[in-house]
Amino acid sequence: MSNKAGMAHLDTYLDQVRRYLKPLPKSEADEVVAELRSHVLDRMAGQPTPGQVEAAIAALGGPREVARFNLTERVSAEVDEDRSPLTVLRGIARLAGLSLYGAFAGLVSFAGYGIAASFLITAAVKPFARSNAGLWRTPEGGGSYSLALGVTSHVRAHQGQELLGWWIIPIGVGVGLILGWLTWRFGLFSLRLMRRSAQRSRA
Amino acid sequence: MNIKSTRDPRDEARKQIVRRAQELGKWETEVRKGGLGLAVLAILWPERLYGLEILRRLDSDAGMSIPEGTIYPLLSRMKAEGLVDSEWVEADAGHPRKYYRLTDPGRRRVREMAQSWRAFAQGLERLLAPMDGDPK
Repeated sequence: MSNKAGMAHLDTYLDQVRRYLKPLPKSEADEVVAELRSHVLDRMAGQPTPGQVEAAIAALGGPREVARFNLTERVSAEVDEDRSPLTVLRGIARLAGLSLYGAFAGLVSFAGYGIAASFLITAAVKPFARSNAGLWRTPEGGGSYSLALGVTSHVRAHQGQELLGWWIIPIGVGVGLILGWLTWRFGLFSLRLMRRSAQRSRA
Repeated sequence: MNIKSTRDPRDEARKQIVRRAQELGKWETEVRKGGLGLAVLAILWPERLYGLEILRRLDSDAGMSIPEGTIYPLLSRMKAEGLVDSEWVEADAGHPRKYYRLTDPGRRRVREMAQSWRAFAQGLERLLAPMDGDPK
């Protein structure tokens, strides 16, 4: 009886770990979970009672914490191999669900690359859509106005005032590249920070 | 009589001792953390071991007690770097265990790390020597 209850408790814990490991490929997550199961069973002397299982789990760390150690280390290993923006962004996205800072870094990275891409795309489209691509300032009434970047409709183009003209090409390329580079550096910095924080809890 | 306002000097002294011990403990933790990778690879030098055995040897031989959940990410990283290899073995315990062994590059690496660690420790030892027997 107690044996069954202990195993059920262990399975619940491992299911939770697996949920947090979702960003990993299934085979890797399976491997991590199988090793944790083997670890807990090895710690048992004889019958795995719920109390013993609880003690083993307490020594391992909570599901989110254990998943964070694993994911952070794996992502860092990948980024050490390949520091390209795509790998960094994928790493940031994988860690976004595991800590508050991770979520913040994810948000900043997606916004940063998104805006950088908007500038680059606008600059690239400008030669082909002269009157519809650019940075637009449109009055919204009451003295306020909105800024729109990109390729916009004829109606909007006629209501608003285009701010940069052909200058959108060099400015768009420049701002897009600088913003993309900054976002990439921010991503690398964030991954280092999250790894250090996971390692601190290791000491 | 207001007890709170009187400062017991013995209390202050006690607090200071605790604070000093905490600072020393922090420093010790940092030093041990620096040697963790070397310790894990060195433990695997003579034989293949599974995670819990590595943890127990770390604790008993080197006084390095780390949260258990952190050993596996470390081993997985060493595997990704090609320093160790792993295999699942069906054990008598009734469940399979994942054993880790050093690869050839792992052996080369741990030798180099050990050399560098010893050179550092010997240098430090020379710096510490003047303290021996000096009552200052």
